[in-house]
Amino acid sequence: MATSTRPPSAGSTTELRPDRTARRRPKQNFETWSWYFMRVSGLVLLFLALLHFAVTHIINDVVETDAVFVEERWDNPVWRIFDWTLLALALLHGLNGLRWIIDDYVRSPAKRAAVKATIYTVSAVLFGYGTLVIVTFEAG
Amino acid sequence: MSPNSTVYRGKSGQWAFLFHRISGFLIFFFLLLHIVDVSLINVSHELYDEVHELYGNILLRLFECGLLFGLLYHSLNGLRIVLVDFFPEGVKDQRPLFWGVLFVTFAAGIPGSLVILWPWIDGNLL
Repeated sequence: MATSTRPPSAGSTTELRPDRTARRRPKQNFETWSWYFMRVSGLVLLFLALLHFAVTHIINDVVETDAVFVEERWDNPVWRIFDWTLLALALLHGLNGLRWIIDDYVRSPAKRAAVKATIYTVSAVLFGYGTLVIVTFEAG
Repeated sequence: MSPNSTVYRGKSGQWAFLFHRISGFLIFFFLLLHIVDVSLINVSHELYDEVHELYGNILLRLFECGLLFGLLYHSLNGLRIVLVDFFPEGVKDQRPLFWGVLFVTFAAGIPGSLVILWPWIDGNLL
């Protein structure tokens, strides 16, 4: 257990302060960064996603957000940047969350690899195509 | 739920965790679908408009209300998680914070849903 103050005996002979080994800060690995990323991106997404929803469902009725609406909105590069940031952060945040869910519930290594490969591929394709649409869109 | 079989022993934290997972999971798959429907604008504006019209349907409007509740809950509970993580003394307030999350979710979700459903309510009930 991480809360134990007694380190495991093996390997602790070279440790100068063996009683503190278990309390040492863990190394900054990928999971540490993914933990921070979820919190930071979550805070940004709170504003981006709720504002996006408000614009497309509350301030405007959903049927008004037709192709002409998109043309007018994407005429302004700030909205393109807004939409692309939302696309990128939401996909990464969702993908990382789904990765945690898959690790929790898909226990067989083969199935886990297959499910992850599928989800990552689909997300990468959609991210690439979504980016292309936002960048290359032209009115008319 | 058996008290010993779950991480948070079936108390409010267990539900906060479960709703967070379910809402996040569903929002992610809606996001994938939503990227596809918006991307149709690259194929043709007519196709985009044709598919997009479906969102005005009452069934999809109800779905959008669900999406609003999911987004609100996931955002606010995420904020609660961040608060508890970065201000460890806040752990003792996690339960009232959870009730606050539910309260604001409904306080914003109900009027928001009325706005979303209004064209249908206006045309069918009033």
